[in-house]
Amino acid sequence: MDEMLDTHLQELRRGTVVLACLHLLRTPGYGYGLLEQLGARGFATDANTLYPLLRRLEKQGYLTSEWNTDEARPRKFYRTSDAGIRLADTLTDEWRSLTTAISALTTEEN
Amino acid sequence: MTATTLTERYIAATVKSLRPESQADVRAELQASIDDAVEARVEQGEAREQAERAVLTELGDPARLAAGYAERPLHLIGPRFYLVWWRLLRLLLIVVPLCVFGAVALGHAIAQAPVGKVMADSLVAAGGAAIHICFWTTLVFVVLERTGSTTKIDTWSLDQLPEIGDDGAGRNELIASLVFLGVAVGALFWDRFRGFVIVDGEGMPILAPDLWPWWIGGLLLLIVAEAVFAVMIYRRRRWTIAAAVVNTVLAVVFLAWAMVLLVQGELVNPAFLSHIVSAGGEGFAAGDAEAAGEGGIFRILAVLLGFGIAAGVVWDIVDGWLKATRRGGGSRRNRLVA
Repeated sequence: MDEMLDTHLQELRRGTVVLACLHLLRTPGYGYGLLEQLGARGFATDANTLYPLLRRLEKQGYLTSEWNTDEARPRKFYRTSDAGIRLADTLTDEWRSLTTAISALTTEEN
Repeated sequence: MTATTLTERYIAATVKSLRPESQADVRAELQASIDDAVEARVEQGEAREQAERAVLTELGDPARLAAGYAERPLHLIGPRFYLVWWRLLRLLLIVVPLCVFGAVALGHAIAQAPVGKVMADSLVAAGGAAIHICFWTTLVFVVLERTGSTTKIDTWSLDQLPEIGDDGAGRNELIASLVFLGVAVGALFWDRFRGFVIVDGEGMPILAPDLWPWWIGGLLLLIVAEAVFAVMIYRRRRWTIAAAVVNTVLAVVFLAWAMVLLVQGELVNPAFLSHIVSAGGEGFAAGDAEAAGEGGIFRILAVLLGFGIAAGVVWDIVDGWLKATRRGGGSRRNRLVA
């Protein structure tokens, strides 16, 4: 029963992590830091999902990356590219229209 | 030091299957991410070694992580190819092993192999063919899946919709059955009293005259039973399990009738055979001598005829069961709708 519920929740959340990353990385961030940020803002994500996702988005041109070697521990910083910002806007619009559609559904019920 | 090697081993296991050009980058990034996570746990008061174990355990199977980095599928055949693969495999598995079985059995039977050897070799050959089909077909689709092929072999169109199964209980089936049976009866009598083969102005029966009256009488009874059966199917308007059983029994009885006579060499008129030999002249005699190892031309022909009859009978039985079970599925659906 719980497993089914989990599957449905996962289905619904799939894709929101991409949107959250694109928004958060308008200010550059690195893997673990982003993982913490996502968790704190209610987008709990597994590390083994996020790290490959960042590389995929970079490969698709929505993120750019740069190694920062100023600190003791060199880290790969990602930043949302112009294409990434456009994608984030499109996805956000879609999310809003979905929210409107769902609230229309629930108000009709009441 | 053991703690360091755990991380190193984890990273090595992850990057080893990645493209060489991305290995160094993934290695460095993963190292930093793991160190960050361990550091965070240590700051919370966890022992370093324990923290490292927890972080790596949370990251999970390195092969899964590597598949994520390399965008490799974690399935053998995904939804894009599955149906095409399954349809092709099913088709091949129905057709090829049957053909292989028939071909090997026929070859052995002509070569006068013992029955046990015929069956064993044919079964082994058919089984081998089935395994080969499964393996190679699947391999091709696994390669397609892994190479990210975008071949559009899976576009579906309305034209592919199957017809709703003809239940084989209609007027056409009845007419076809009765006409066929009538022609068979007519041919039996014509062969006996007028003759398809005319020698010196007189008819020469192809079927052995000794078969009259008892064997032919039995065959006529069987034909009548088949006709009654066809009418019953038509009046009931459907095939049932019972009908499939009756159909099977009738088919097996006919097979037994034909095989007993064929094996004992009593089916065909000996006078007709000697007429062929004399009409065939020296060419026929030479061919017969050459085929002596297989028992002569007539034996080869008898084996071929036997295989033909057996194949027809087996198909008749299978067809009956297919119609009966399909019909069953149909009526279940109807009940649900009602």
